[in-house]
Amino acid sequence: MSDAADIPVLRARGLRKEYGKEEGLVRAVDEVDLDIGAGETVAIMGPSGCGKSTLLHLLGGLDRPSGGQVRLNGRRIDDIGEKALAQLRRTDIGFVFQAFHLMEELTAVENVELPALLAGRSPRAARRRAEELLERVGLAGRARFLPSALSGGQRQRVAVARALSNEPSVVLADEPTGNLDSAATLDVLQLFEGLHGSGQTLVIVTHDARIAATADRMISMRDGAFVDETWLTGGTTGRLGALIGLED
Amino acid sequence: MDRFPLAGRLLLVGRLAVRDLRRRRAEAALLLLAIMTATTTLTLGLVLRDAAGDPYRSTRAATSGPDVVASTVRVAESAGVPGPGKPARSTELTELAELAGAPGVVGHSGPYPVTAARLQASGRTSDVQAVGRDAGPASVDRPEVLRGGWVRDGGVVLEAAFAGALDVRVGDPVTLDGRSFEVVGVAVTAAMPPYPKASCIFPCMNGAVPGGEAGAEPPPGLLRNPGLVWLTRTDVRNLTPDPDSLAYVMNLKLADPDGAQAFSDANHGVAMQSWQSILEDATELAGDSQILLLIGAWLLGLLATASLSVLVGGRMAAQTRRVGLLKAVGGTPGLVAAVLLAEYVLVAVAAAAAGLAAGSLAAPLLTESGAGLVGGTGTPSITVPTAGLVTAVALGVAVVATAVPAVRAARTGTVGALADSARPPRRVGWLVALSARLPVPLLLALRVAARRPRRVVLGVASIAITVSGIYVLLVLNAFLAGQPLSGGYGDAQVEVLRRALLVVTATLLSLAAVNAVVITWATVLDNRHSSALARALGATPREVSTALAIAQVLPALAGAVLGVFPGGYALFAAVNATTGGDGGRAPLPPLWQLLAVVLTTVLAVAALTAVPARLGGRRPVAETLRAGLT
Amino acid sequence: MQQEVVLAMLAKEPTHGYQLRTRLRDALGPLGDAMNAGHVYVTLTRLEKAGLIAVERSADGTERSDRKVYTLTPDGQQRVAEWIAEVSWPKPDLAEFHLKLIAAAAAGLADPLTIVDTQRRELLHRLRDAQRTAMAEPDHSDAALLLEGIVLRLQADLRWLEACEKNWTHRRSGS
Ligand SMILES: Nc1ncnc2c1ncn2[C@@H]1O[C@H](COP(=O)(O)OP(=O)(O)OP(=O)(O)O)[C@@H](O)[C@H]1O
Ligand SMILES: [Mg+2]
Repeated sequence: MSDAADIPVLRARGLRKEYGKEEGLVRAVDEVDLDIGAGETVAIMGPSGCGKSTLLHLLGGLDRPSGGQVRLNGRRIDDIGEKALAQLRRTDIGFVFQAFHLMEELTAVENVELPALLAGRSPRAARRRAEELLERVGLAGRARFLPSALSGGQRQRVAVARALSNEPSVVLADEPTGNLDSAATLDVLQLFEGLHGSGQTLVIVTHDARIAATADRMISMRDGAFVDETWLTGGTTGRLGALIGLED
Repeated sequence: MDRFPLAGRLLLVGRLAVRDLRRRRAEAALLLLAIMTATTTLTLGLVLRDAAGDPYRSTRAATSGPDVVASTVRVAESAGVPGPGKPARSTELTELAELAGAPGVVGHSGPYPVTAARLQASGRTSDVQAVGRDAGPASVDRPEVLRGGWVRDGGVVLEAAFAGALDVRVGDPVTLDGRSFEVVGVAVTAAMPPYPKASCIFPCMNGAVPGGEAGAEPPPGLLRNPGLVWLTRTDVRNLTPDPDSLAYVMNLKLADPDGAQAFSDANHGVAMQSWQSILEDATELAGDSQILLLIGAWLLGLLATASLSVLVGGRMAAQTRRVGLLKAVGGTPGLVAAVLLAEYVLVAVAAAAAGLAAGSLAAPLLTESGAGLVGGTGTPSITVPTAGLVTAVALGVAVVATAVPAVRAARTGTVGALADSARPPRRVGWLVALSARLPVPLLLALRVAARRPRRVVLGVASIAITVSGIYVLLVLNAFLAGQPLSGGYGDAQVEVLRRALLVVTATLLSLAAVNAVVITWATVLDNRHSSALARALGATPREVSTALAIAQVLPALAGAVLGVFPGGYALFAAVNATTGGDGGRAPLPPLWQLLAVVLTTVLAVAALTAVPARLGGRRPVAETLRAGLT
Repeated sequence: MQQEVVLAMLAKEPTHGYQLRTRLRDALGPLGDAMNAGHVYVTLTRLEKAGLIAVERSADGTERSDRKVYTLTPDGQQRVAEWIAEVSWPKPDLAEFHLKLIAAAAAGLADPLTIVDTQRRELLHRLRDAQRTAMAEPDHSDAALLLEGIVLRLQADLRWLEACEKNWTHRRSGS
């Protein structure tokens, strides 16, 4: 085994997920190979129904593949028990959903501290960490608000803070701005840029090109398979001028 | 809407209603079950009220019962006084016969000869008083034959409660003082309280031997718990070689039945018993067992209400949203209300029918004991008013369940009804804060509970009611167990009361079990989303299942403790107060029994909730969260 | 660069050549860095020849363009007024790409989906650059607004590519 840094945070090989049988068979994820390195931000785009959410669920151990392997930090997670999976989700994976999925009856800070409590942290430590995270997403003043009293963008920022609660090795976001208008999208976008900058590994499924553009790499999916991959790093500011006709 | 003909509209409403019910089969089934339990209980209650409400009076009416029963031998002044039977002298017989012409008497039958004998049937023996009757019907006191036929030579007819106690059937051979007879019938009469409360024509005593141990022989010459049998006059005479040792009874009908007591007080020389005093003796036990059933019916009613409010409440929340949806796609408020109403009416009618059927099937279980008690008039059937009332109550539930969401949705408007969840979870801040300090399953459990405080209260109440009931039943059971020793009830009576206790207990427990499952199921459904979310955030399936179960078990524990004290204690006091019984005679259950009740309750609830909770903790996470998007 | 833009930037007051460039750079922000200084002076010379601006020599009398002071002539002022009132808008040239896809598919030159993917990569790169640049801008800067426009434009183009992708996937599976 080589240097630990070489091991991708997430690695998938021949990953498959099928629903239904015979004529009704849907290959939601079809032989996907994927490596995501530490600190990398990867965007996954593709038309509706191409299997993005399914892939994300497989990568995060929320769903079990029909075939293939998933490794998280070098450890296989596709064949481990429900309990071990739950523990992994609690320590190594953070989820952000399109529908936010906050607990309605818990305040912002209580929502954010929940994963830490589930992981067995002390209530004090969990609360302190939650408050830090809310500060980081710019919602320190809203810590005691219920989700119903927050705007969509604010709710999603709470959800991002919650995903970060246990310092996961990877954050998986499924259309995090799908329910937001452009101003709120910008808030979340900046948040992801910040996360990227701080070295957080991120996988973002999105329809929004702006979100995808924050990534190091963009993967296009079609019919459950990867069809294109673009490295977006090493941009060329020089060519920007051409966009408005300043250059010939 | 007006463009559609009425039939088309009805069809549309029906289709929408059926589709919605189909979509939530489990919920619809539980709702049906809960309403059915309520209707069954109600049916039982009503049937029993009809059956036991005035059993003696109905028997009296059916058998053309006498207002006064006169006999030649004075009823033993006090049971237990030893002494030889007073032989009937011819003067006495004449006096008795003259009563037929006494002022105020409008009808009579007899005098009939009576003899004391010893009956032996399949190993059991009992003292009896055998009355010699004519084969034809009498004008006064025509015992109603329940099974078999009326007396003939060589054939004996047994009083129903007596036959029941001896477990003797029509066709069985018996012997009377060694002579063989065949049992040809079983009948009830209003002329004498049913076994083992018979009036003593010959000196006799009922109940346990005072001052003696159980099973001690009564003093010689004294009949013990005599049963009543009817023979032909000839057979009675044949049993008694000495005509002087025969006693005679005569049944009198008075112009003024209410004056029976005064009549018997005024006429001396012969022993007389008014129908009021027979009634008193006859219904003593019936009253006791009716009280038991009444307590049971009340407890059952409360339990049924608890499960109904959980189910209907949960459904109403979902319905408010649905009303919003229907309105949004253009349904008029009228159509929307009609669909809801149709849904509930379908369930309610089915539940009423099922409840009536179940009730009438279960009623014999209870009335059988009732028949023995009261010399009842057979198994009561469902009357039209009973069926009507049960259906009306079921429909009432349907209307209330429709009205609330319809009105609520009409008031909140389409947007409001659609927005967010129709019944947002409550927030109990201190519980959330407290739970943060606890281990994960408890943490989740407290939060599950905190989301629906009302449901927790109902859960506590439901268990408390059940346990209170069990407490009272324990006390009564202990009391009955002490009876044969301390006097009061005879073995047979204890048996009868025990049976009533058993029926009440069984119904109570099954309804409580249904309740526990209903509440757990509602909780599981309600927490689908948050359970999936907790698991996405790293809770294990076991933690989530345990939390769902604990969320039921904790209220159950509280309910069980409250049910013992003050619940059971207060209920017992209330029972005592209403029946005028002296509770001081009944020993309170010992501590170990109470602890066992609490423990068993908690374990039973844990077992009942384990399955739904386990299912709830194991639903696929991704699917549930995906479903939450729509 | 359009002559009218330069003309309008001079409308406020007589301006030095270097002032004009500073003004342009402030408005364009990082995009201004790409601006070719020579290009501006070529434009100025054309405007002068057309009689739309007049040149005052600077006091030190040097011939360097950035020391010259430019003023609008009455003709120039009229031209600016007309330009401001105009409603012309840059035309996005989508027909070319559209025809490229059709031609490629028809002649079997390339898979249209590959072309779409390649084009998307290019646009995403641009989007990323524009967005990064926009985020680096201070709040309420003139240039940020311009960058926002670029980002939105690119986003619209990418959306259209998505539609192209869907359409061509459909055609392929349909045929
Ligand atoms: N439980 C299921 N049973 C059957 N088919 C399913 C199930 N879940 C998903 N699918 C199918 O799998 C395919 C991929 O679904 P998925 O939700 O992953 O798409 P997606 O790329 O996330 O779409 P969107 O962009 O609309 O969210 C779809 O065709 C969907 O119909
Ligand atoms: Mg999706």
